[in-house]
Amino acid sequence: MKNIVASANKNKWSSMSGGKPPTTWAVLRTLILIWLVLIIVLPVIWIVLASFKDLPELGQKPPTLIPHAWHISNYSQALQTYGFATFLRNSIFVTASATLLTLIINSMAAFAFAKYNFRGREGLFIMTLAMLMIPLQVILIPIYQVITKLHMVNTFWGLIIPAAATPTGVFILRQYMLTIPDEIIESARIDGAGDFRIFLRIIIPLAKPALAVVTIFSIMWRWNDFLWPLIVAQDSKFYTLPVALAILNGELSVPYNLVLAMSVLSLLPVIIMFVFMQRQIAQGIAQTGLK
Amino acid sequence: MLRNLSKVRKAGVIAAVAASLLGATLMATPSLASTATKHTPVLKPDNANPGAARLAGWKGKTINYLYFTDGPDEKYTRDLVAQFTQQTGINVNLQIIPFANLDSTLAARLAAGNPPDLARVASPQLYVNDALNLDQYFGANYRKEFLPGSYTAVLDKNGGLFGVPSDLTMNGPLINVDLFKKAGVPLPSTTKPWTWTEMLAAAKKVQAATKTDYAFAIDKSGHRLSTVLSQYGTNLIGAGGTNGLDVAKATKALQPLVDMYVADQAPKDLWLGSGAKYAAPLDIFYAQQVPVYLSGNWQVAALAANAKFNWAAAPNPCDVACGGFPGGKFEIAFKKSANPVIAAYFLNWLNKPAEQNYMDQGSFWMPTRVDLANAGIKYPSNAADMNVFIADSARTPDLAYAKDAQGAAFSNAANALRDGLTSVIAGKTTLTAMLTDLKTKIDGWIVK
Amino acid sequence: MKTLERAKAPRRGLRSRRRRLIPYLFLLPNMAIFGLFTIFPALRGFWISFFDSTDGRHFKYVGTGNYKEIFSDQAVLNVASNTARYVIGYVISSVVISIAIALMLNAQTWGKTIFRSVIFLPVLLSPVVIGLIWANLLDRKRGGINALLAIVGVGKVPWLVDSKYTMWAVIFVGLWTHVGFFTVILLAGLQGIDKNIYEAASLDGAHGWNLVRTITLPLLKPTTLVVVILATIQGFQSFDFIYTLTGGGPVGATTLIVQYIYDSAFQTPIRYGLASAAAVILFFIIFSITILNYLIGRSRDAL
Repeated sequence: MKNIVASANKNKWSSMSGGKPPTTWAVLRTLILIWLVLIIVLPVIWIVLASFKDLPELGQKPPTLIPHAWHISNYSQALQTYGFATFLRNSIFVTASATLLTLIINSMAAFAFAKYNFRGREGLFIMTLAMLMIPLQVILIPIYQVITKLHMVNTFWGLIIPAAATPTGVFILRQYMLTIPDEIIESARIDGAGDFRIFLRIIIPLAKPALAVVTIFSIMWRWNDFLWPLIVAQDSKFYTLPVALAILNGELSVPYNLVLAMSVLSLLPVIIMFVFMQRQIAQGIAQTGLK
Repeated sequence: MLRNLSKVRKAGVIAAVAASLLGATLMATPSLASTATKHTPVLKPDNANPGAARLAGWKGKTINYLYFTDGPDEKYTRDLVAQFTQQTGINVNLQIIPFANLDSTLAARLAAGNPPDLARVASPQLYVNDALNLDQYFGANYRKEFLPGSYTAVLDKNGGLFGVPSDLTMNGPLINVDLFKKAGVPLPSTTKPWTWTEMLAAAKKVQAATKTDYAFAIDKSGHRLSTVLSQYGTNLIGAGGTNGLDVAKATKALQPLVDMYVADQAPKDLWLGSGAKYAAPLDIFYAQQVPVYLSGNWQVAALAANAKFNWAAAPNPCDVACGGFPGGKFEIAFKKSANPVIAAYFLNWLNKPAEQNYMDQGSFWMPTRVDLANAGIKYPSNAADMNVFIADSARTPDLAYAKDAQGAAFSNAANALRDGLTSVIAGKTTLTAMLTDLKTKIDGWIVK
Repeated sequence: MKTLERAKAPRRGLRSRRRRLIPYLFLLPNMAIFGLFTIFPALRGFWISFFDSTDGRHFKYVGTGNYKEIFSDQAVLNVASNTARYVIGYVISSVVISIAIALMLNAQTWGKTIFRSVIFLPVLLSPVVIGLIWANLLDRKRGGINALLAIVGVGKVPWLVDSKYTMWAVIFVGLWTHVGFFTVILLAGLQGIDKNIYEAASLDGAHGWNLVRTITLPLLKPTTLVVVILATIQGFQSFDFIYTLTGGGPVGATTLIVQYIYDSAFQTPIRYGLASAAAVILFFIIFSITILNYLIGRSRDAL
């Protein structure tokens, strides 16, 4: 925050500030970025506004931007959907736990891939990458059979554990850890530190930017996960928000106004989390460590 | 032990162990027999009256009921479930899933030996080998309590009943009465339905007079399109579960629709823009941009709550035949579940007169029971609309019900019809060519 | 990349064996989960591709029948061509655009955080919401985009119903959703470039675009490789938002391979064997491209 204020002051056009006026390129650049932001943000704002419309207005032509009347009832009805509070709580719990687990096991695996040389390293890494390429729909039945045999169906473990070993997370963390100089590790070893200590005390702090990135990705993936919770959860007490949304969307006479309201509701926690994490990500990226 | 082997031999051993593990994995082969559960419950005929002692023994048990909701029915199902628990002490665990995932979820659960105790399904024929035979519990005359034709889809090849028809749906047109009034076009009466020519002419007249976007709309579904086919005397599945598609009659039936879509007098964008998915032009009807919308009775509850204009159900248009096209949902219990006997008891309970009446009143469903159909359901509102659908029920030709004998083939044919018609509207093929091709495909899908 | 283990003199004994096991121990939790929940079911899926099944429990052996059917089906040719066009369009445009945005953001002196957060926003949305938003906005008669275009006099473009436009619309929506994702990764990469290098280069007289071209972009290569691989895999896996947006239409113009797999496994007529075979083919395609990318990248890094 301080930096932004400081640099804003630096770029003031008045001659009193003592800084240079911005270059044409800087102005152009800012304009492009603002324009980009509008392209990104306006559709989302539009859908938020649309979520307050009632069904007849949703089908209007030409479309209205601001609703004629603000139907808060869309939200109260969506919130009163049977079990909404439970779904929300589950989404939060599963997302947080799975993300924590992901960070731990992905960084451990990435560390092994990045900083060790062992038999089968290339093959195992390639196999990790390969896991990205298997669409869940196809292995639905075999996966279901596995989790049934392991008695993980209809449990929170089933929701949290299997999804935590994300290949993308390992990939990103490994790429980042590759850039950590080996000298740091060597000198720690010479000082007598064990491998796990090196991992915990040296690697993890240095890998913060990548960890921050994987955190937000994991939050986003787990929060929006639909097919996996649907497979694992049988009782609605384990359902997450996307499942509830899919049920609404699958009704014979789809209540679009409620679907929109519930969609916006499910957006909010992730956005809030992201805004909250923004500072960590920014700080993390700023801390480039011993580069 | 491994330490002593040379590197090469070590690698070989590891490879051999891995290979045999892999082999064992793969050898846990898909077998022809389905996975059996550890226990086989002892089944005894109960005639739905298990007796106080047996009932007392069931107290405290839980059965799983896999369910999908059309919308308004969820609340009433929950009410009934609560009532059942109160009366008997048996817990019913309502497991609601999206309709689109119903069959794949059931397939997965059956494959893993973990089926629910009972399920509400739309394609019961898929489960004919897994569903509990109900004749052994309720007697061979149980089916007579239900409308003839309503339970064809839950008969196995020996004529045994393996499910209960829980609700009927009927397709039919919904009309924007305000628009018709504004255009000065009269509506048909229930006793004298209009013909297709009359209906389309009326729709176009209303569109011209009121300047709405479209004249006519129909759900993008092969099931809805079958309504039109039925009224022109043909069907995807014919009598006795044979190939019923008459290309000439079907072309005559669908050509006017195609022409309207191509001319954008019917929502072409909705049809083309939804790809391989079901789509309903409901929002266009809500926005009052189409005077005639061919859908079905399930829209009544939502329209009653949300529509800001006067609307009504109209009788189906006739050509060589009148009446609409039926659909329905069924409840089945599973042989290999944890509590098949209790599930059967609950199934029976759910479809008793008072209980079915309660569901139908609240959800605007149509009854499948003979006694309820004769007495009529006292719907809280829109009784006139529901009665239009019920009257059409009576007029629906038997041919329309033939599809129930070939559930899987009908589903495939309906989807192919829908996708084929989309191609025709997009100008990629002609109606006759598409229908001829479809007829050949249907031959391949019919199960002998 | 320097290795740690081989540099030391090989030592026998307990400590050495334990040290040899350590990377495996670090790897174990992740790999165990992969093994159980992805690899094993995937192998089974591979096995199923040689059978025909309509309910996942009863199987009929058909050997390579499913594969033969896929390769001789006209519809599959269409799906393959759609997928190829989408992936190429998506990867090229997302890499180019996100590098451009990352460069701009990196040079920006104020509001960097806000810009970056906002651009990342769509990444957080669920595919259903994205499909809802853009299906509405791109509607020919009632969509906001055409309403805006009408202001400048452009007629109603049939974005989602005319196959001339649908692929572009789909690529655009994919881009809109993910450009923030790639930008964040590239930004992290840009931040990792030593500032001293820039100072040295500008002392040598390199400025602006020259600087970017000769210093920044080459140093950004490892990160760019990450983005290319992720974008490619993402491109091949694209299904959810496309299905919500166009359903694969009109008439199969935006049906990509994952939808073909989904239709075979979830829509009547259900054919699990066929779906598995298509998935195996998809797997090998992505796998080959990823390995290729990975090997190219590895040979470039000064290891």
